Amino acid sequence: MLDILDISKPFADMDRPVDIETERAITRWLHAEVRYLDAERYQEWLTDFIDPEIHYWMPDMETRRRDDPRGMFAYGESAYFDDTWSELNIRVKRYNEPSAWADNPQTRHLHQISNIEINATDDPTLFAVHSAFTNVRNRNEADQDIIHGRREDVLRAVDGGYRLLRRRVFIVQNVLLSKNLNTFF
Amino acid sequence: MCEGDCKGAAKGRPNMKPVYPKAGSYPDFAKLVDRENAQVDRRVFTDEEVYQAELRQIFARSWLFLAHESQIPNPGDFVRTSMGEDDVIVVRQRDGSVNAFLNSCPHRGNRVCMVDAGKKARGFICNYHGWSFGIDGALRGTDGKVYEKDETFEKAQIGLTPVAQVDSYKGLIFGTFDPDAVSLLEFFGDFTYYLDIMLDNDEGGTEFIGGAIKSEIDCNWKFPAENFVGDILHAFWTHQSGAQAILGGGVDLGKRYDELAFQASIYGHGIETNLDKVGNTRTLGYPDLVDYAFDLSEKAKDRLGDIRARAIGAVSSCTVFPNFSFLPGQNTFRVWHPRGPGKIELVVWTLVNKNAPDHIKEQYRKGVMMTFSPGGVFEMDDGENWEYSTRVNQGFVTRHQPLHYALGIESADMERDLPGHIHKGSLNDANQRLFYTRWAEFMEHDNWTDLQNGATAAPKKTATAAE
Repeated sequence: MLDILDISKPFADMDRPVDIETERAITRWLHAEVRYLDAERYQEWLTDFIDPEIHYWMPDMETRRRDDPRGMFAYGESAYFDDTWSELNIRVKRYNEPSAWADNPQTRHLHQISNIEINATDDPTLFAVHSAFTNVRNRNEADQDIIHGRREDVLRAVDGGYRLLRRRVFIVQNVLLSKNLNTFF
Repeated sequence: MCEGDCKGAAKGRPNMKPVYPKAGSYPDFAKLVDRENAQVDRRVFTDEEVYQAELRQIFARSWLFLAHESQIPNPGDFVRTSMGEDDVIVVRQRDGSVNAFLNSCPHRGNRVCMVDAGKKARGFICNYHGWSFGIDGALRGTDGKVYEKDETFEKAQIGLTPVAQVDSYKGLIFGTFDPDAVSLLEFFGDFTYYLDIMLDNDEGGTEFIGGAIKSEIDCNWKFPAENFVGDILHAFWTHQSGAQAILGGGVDLGKRYDELAFQASIYGHGIETNLDKVGNTRTLGYPDLVDYAFDLSEKAKDRLGDIRARAIGAVSSCTVFPNFSFLPGQNTFRVWHPRGPGKIELVVWTLVNKNAPDHIKEQYRKGVMMTFSPGGVFEMDDGENWEYSTRVNQGFVTRHQPLHYALGIESADMERDLPGHIHKGSLNDANQRLFYTRWAEFMEHDNWTDLQNGATAAPKKTATAAE
């Protein structure tokens, strides 16, 4: 397995920026993806943006001393997401139920993406993508949750477009300052 | 300042011995629980004075969950947690025992430990003035050699304040700030009979896997605690969407619900179970786990007997008074730490049998994440219910309306040979009534004799049945 597909490993050197055309295409893809998430078009998101071999991981962040070799997170420890396609599909199925009360009435979503860096990899069909995000949810009258973080994505070029093959999501919170995560990142 | 008989403290130095606040008595608050009418006054969820009384009467006296033995296997291994709102370090000692200390320097009060957990620590050093403490809590030195230069310093008994009593039961470590508290086993009473469903169903014992997930919910701590003490009713409505997503159908009570399901309560600790073997485990979504739970149920009959063996993976839930809860079969263990009357910090762990195969442990880890973590398809829909049950009471008129806790008011089961107060069926408020009765006992009584001999104590007939 290529290192960039190993969910436990961070991207190594990010010194192979892609050409301007690829950069434009992938940036458009990133913006389109979050537009789908803003609109809660989760079923289409799974179909149109997610690779069947997806590994979608979001660890929880521990507060540890700098000299603690375990670091802030590790693969195999507790996580908010550690999903294959079929596990993402279970989450989407819940959203599709009219009795998903945490989403009925509807939640208002905004995903902002920035700090985008796109690099080529040893496999010409795979791209390593850094981005930062602001995930805003607001529901009912005044319930608001804002989560900031970073993502490390691997995109696969497929049929003239792209699919998300691997995503690592790192939020900046230790105690999650929200009651739930009725959202994707 | 220490003068006269200083009990070991040096003359001319302040007496730095630990202070453990004494309980009082709040009969007016105890009356907020109306047992005759099965009603609870909403002030128990919102009133700041009631909340401060809870910190004194309940959280400064009860045995509170601290950690699982498996989290701190070696000397110097520690975790940081809370007892009520008090920040506490739980640390394995060199002799293998476990101690716990207030995470506050006796000099200016700053925290001496800033991290969630650590391995093989030699001690804890305050960032403010460099006061350093051993893993036994004793002061070892300070920056600037103040300590070393002044020989009367060490006689002042300076150290981190120890949690008054620490003890463990089958892997779970508990502590109390009350030196006069009854033993941990007496605090549980015969409820250990039910704890063993999860803690002693396999010869190898249990462990926590994969660390903790922490989150905040803007609700009173008693709403989730009472939910887990006995509220299967909410599962059908609140969690319809999660059940559909994972099972492709609604929550199932089990074929023999009318015959088998019950609630049991002792000293406010409560469990409800339908004895359907795998109803909870099924919701984790992995067929291998269901097979494992079935096999475990068969195998555990020798250890636990037929009834408890049927409970290991069944539709069920449990709260140990006041704020430690778990779900048999789904294996999520959690504490609802109070953070004011209208806020909690929820900490969630996953418990597995040490002897379980690795792929089974991994499926529990992922299954709990998918169901009972902040992004889980079940837990997702709980928080808002508890938040608005709390928040609406800002309304002055609203908070004067009583709450109805009368489901199953005639359901007491006098025949069944099980420890504690037994009620028929799990669609029942019986355990919740007893949870709030226990709450009222803690408000009322300033001593453990009264606390241990009130209405929530196990009825006599079952005390013998449990033996």
